[in-house]
Amino acid sequence: MDMNEEDVAEQHYRSTLPGPLGVVDTWISKIEAMILAVGVILMAINTVANVIGRFVFGESLHFSEEINRILIVMITFAGIGYAARHGRHIRMSAIYDALPTGGRRWLMIFICLFTALVMFTLCYYSIGYIQTTYSRGRVLPSLSIPVWIMYLWVPVGFTITGIQYLLTAFKNLTSRDVYLSTHVVDGYKDTETEV
Amino acid sequence: SAAANADNWRYAHEEFEGDVQDVFAVAFKEYVEDNSDHTVQVYRFGELGESDDIMEQTQAGILQFVNQSPGFTGSLIPEAQIFFIPYLLPTDEETVIEFFNTSTAINETFPELYAEQGLELLKMYPEGEMVVTLDEPFTSPDDLRGKNIRTMTNPLLSETYRAFGATPTPLPWGEVYGGLQTNIIQGQENPIFWIESGGLYEVSPNLVFTGHGWFTTAMMANQDFFDGLSEEDQQLVRDATEAAYEHIIEHISGLADESLEAIQEASDEVTVTRLDEEQIQAFRERAPQVEERFVEMTGDRGAELLEQFKDDLEAVTNE
Amino acid sequence: MTTIIISIMIVLLLLGFPMMIPLVTAAFVGFYMTFGGTGQMETLIQQMLGGIRPTALIAVPMFILAADIMTRGQSAHRLIDMVMSFVGHVKGGLAVSTAASCTLFGAVSGSTQATVVAVGSPLRPRMLKAGYKDPFTLALIINSSDIAFLIPPSIGMIIYGVISGTSIGELFIAGIGPGLLILFMFSIYCVMYAVIKDVPTEPKSSWRERLTAVQKALWPLGFPVLIVGGIYGGIFSPTEAAAACVLYAVLLEFVVFRSLKLQHIYTIAKSTGLITAVVFILVAVGNGFSWVISFAQIPQEILAAVGINEAGPVGVLIAISVAFFVACMFVDPIVVILVLTPIFAPAIAASGLDPVHVGVLITLQVAIGSATPPFGCDIFTAIAIFKRPYWEVIRGTPPFIFMLILAAALIIMFPQIALFLRDLAFR
Ligand code: NA
Ligand code: NA
Repeated sequence: MDMNEEDVAEQHYRSTLPGPLGVVDTWISKIEAMILAVGVILMAINTVANVIGRFVFGESLHFSEEINRILIVMITFAGIGYAARHGRHIRMSAIYDALPTGGRRWLMIFICLFTALVMFTLCYYSIGYIQTTYSRGRVLPSLSIPVWIMYLWVPVGFTITGIQYLLTAFKNLTSRDVYLSTHVVDGYKDTETEV
Repeated sequence: SAAANADNWRYAHEEFEGDVQDVFAVAFKEYVEDNSDHTVQVYRFGELGESDDIMEQTQAGILQFVNQSPGFTGSLIPEAQIFFIPYLLPTDEETVIEFFNTSTAINETFPELYAEQGLELLKMYPEGEMVVTLDEPFTSPDDLRGKNIRTMTNPLLSETYRAFGATPTPLPWGEVYGGLQTNIIQGQENPIFWIESGGLYEVSPNLVFTGHGWFTTAMMANQDFFDGLSEEDQQLVRDATEAAYEHIIEHISGLADESLEAIQEASDEVTVTRLDEEQIQAFRERAPQVEERFVEMTGDRGAELLEQFKDDLEAVTNE
Repeated sequence: MTTIIISIMIVLLLLGFPMMIPLVTAAFVGFYMTFGGTGQMETLIQQMLGGIRPTALIAVPMFILAADIMTRGQSAHRLIDMVMSFVGHVKGGLAVSTAASCTLFGAVSGSTQATVVAVGSPLRPRMLKAGYKDPFTLALIINSSDIAFLIPPSIGMIIYGVISGTSIGELFIAGIGPGLLILFMFSIYCVMYAVIKDVPTEPKSSWRERLTAVQKALWPLGFPVLIVGGIYGGIFSPTEAAAACVLYAVLLEFVVFRSLKLQHIYTIAKSTGLITAVVFILVAVGNGFSWVISFAQIPQEILAAVGINEAGPVGVLIAISVAFFVACMFVDPIVVILVLTPIFAPAIAASGLDPVHVGVLITLQVAIGSATPPFGCDIFTAIAIFKRPYWEVIRGTPPFIFMLILAAALIIMFPQIALFLRDLAFR
């Protein structure tokens, strides 16, 4: 199998943060990638097992659905940070594309700062939501796991994403090119990513 | 009272327009609006999220009233799942209504459980008897062997059908009709008016009245909101609830027969089986397995509640 | 409040923000205005997390994973070779093959982009060599990939089904008729184009070659059988069909064809996870947004303002078509489904229209919109993959857009195009 450009770029990713922070951030990136891959693989195994369970043993695994719920949250909130690192969030760039490079750079700085602000705000309220869920004691009916535990990853995902956009704003401030993320220079190849 | 004191109260439930919970909500709304300057905004299924969501929104005080079936409250109040235990409620309608009117468990124990979650339980009421539909008529647990019966995602309900000899198969409501048509599932359970309105009899024409349970639901208010109301408004809410309850009891009493008639009118394929006492006994004997699972899930408090239910049941059936 | 929320969303979208930001910002402002402060923001979080809760959504990563495995393996090539061996020699046959390959690969892939990559990449050079002009070729690839969006599985249908509570299995089956109708229209156009421009034909394959091509494609042909047959025959729910596809794709590419090795699974799963996350965060914020507009009763307000209550069923369908078409000219199709479906929900319910019929029409509009200039994600995918300028990519699209709009009109007028197979399977 050939690796495509994105696979290669992701494999050689190094954080732009200086010193030990950079090492930690590079590791976070690797962990995110691992959560994405392992999460999808586990989801596939779990879903396939449920199908086999129904056909071969005539019994659906009733906790299967709840495991997938947990995995969806993991994948989504590990993925938003990872997507931010690699400039892969879906965006529509009508006015933006029409601007000259200088204007685009300043607009991108504004976009990144505002996006970071939104992410940190969502992080703040998601912590509040986890506290509320904790205090109410809601559990997943089949697994009997408290619901708040599966949401713990949510504020982490928002924070990491926010930090990535802050770093991108900084990158744009200190360079001549326009950057979609700390590593991805804006160009046709990367303007749109879609399923 | 002056218009300045008029509030808009928000009330969400789990069903579609014209279903039992909606009829209850509208009756409540009409009473409140006829007897005060307050208004009530009713939100139906899906408008503000799923059942768990509207419950949390009520706890958060965004909604003032919510109607949630105890079966769905299980993740918050595990004891509420007691309504999934088969043969814990009487079978005939008159006795069921009497049970709801007099039961200590329903009128005293449950309000305390809900209060712990910041909810003022205003009314628990029955929506209709659960009717099982299958690809062929059945009269014994043996007939159910190997049949995939659609259940909601609830461990206790699954346990019930496992005890009955069938294979419980969780499936979202949207897939039930197609699932029956294409034989992914061979049966399902629902109150008869849903079997009619959802057209389920077209694809699963054998109706069996097993007498194992009633679809029960509960209407409640956010407790802080309720406690903060004036004495007068609290009374208004209680009266409106009572009026809605009386309306709904009348509504459901004709509903089951009407629905069954409509179904039989619409389809020649439909068969109706009412299990006799002896046949019911064969299913009832399987209930302890589910009770054990319930106690396992809910501990001593659940065990006490179960005892209370049985006492209450005895009280109404021995009269 | 309606005006403020919608203005915020449009301005942020146009400025080029990541799509989650306009939605969540509009929702945030909506919450702030509805509750007079930030006191209830936790419900926004609740609804975001509630948005990614439905189990039917699991089908999305599973179909993406299966398609990703196949695209990186050999299945896609084998399907194309088979189609080619049969119609390659007809006048315009190469173009018809391209459309047919997109349709066939669409029966595996849930997304148009995967189809553009899997079918467009190998076939565009062949079409250019055979004498087709690039604008025609690009437009054909982009628009034929839209057929893939209608043929099950379809991510757009899964999202619509989840939001509107419509059976995804029924939507899948109902998409087949319109998909084939559009393939038919495109094929006629391809033949006409080839005749008028006098494009030379390909050499005809011998029956022996055809037999070999069919044999080689036999395994990948199992996918449509699994999905369509599985759902049609009542063996699988859509989510189960997705899981079965993954299992089948793994068996095929790793065991039968041995085109991939075990260590590749990590890269493929990671790439699937990333696409899933990027879509699901939109589903999450979209759900938060739709909660607040529903709570504030905004859909009723908007729909009453455009007079939809007096429009009748056909009027509702036309209004829906126009709204989705226009919105998709500017915004990602999934975002459009997320935002517009809840707005139209009250009108759809009141009109007595079959939600499956509406869902098929919406899926078609969304597919058209994403291939229609000025903006459309398929256009940008094509620009990115084929490295061609914008103008060249869009120049050949008008005839295709015309045919697609005609197809939409036919589906509005004759619901049975969509509902016939559904009724056969589920009624
Ligand atoms: Na498809
Ligand atoms: Na477009």
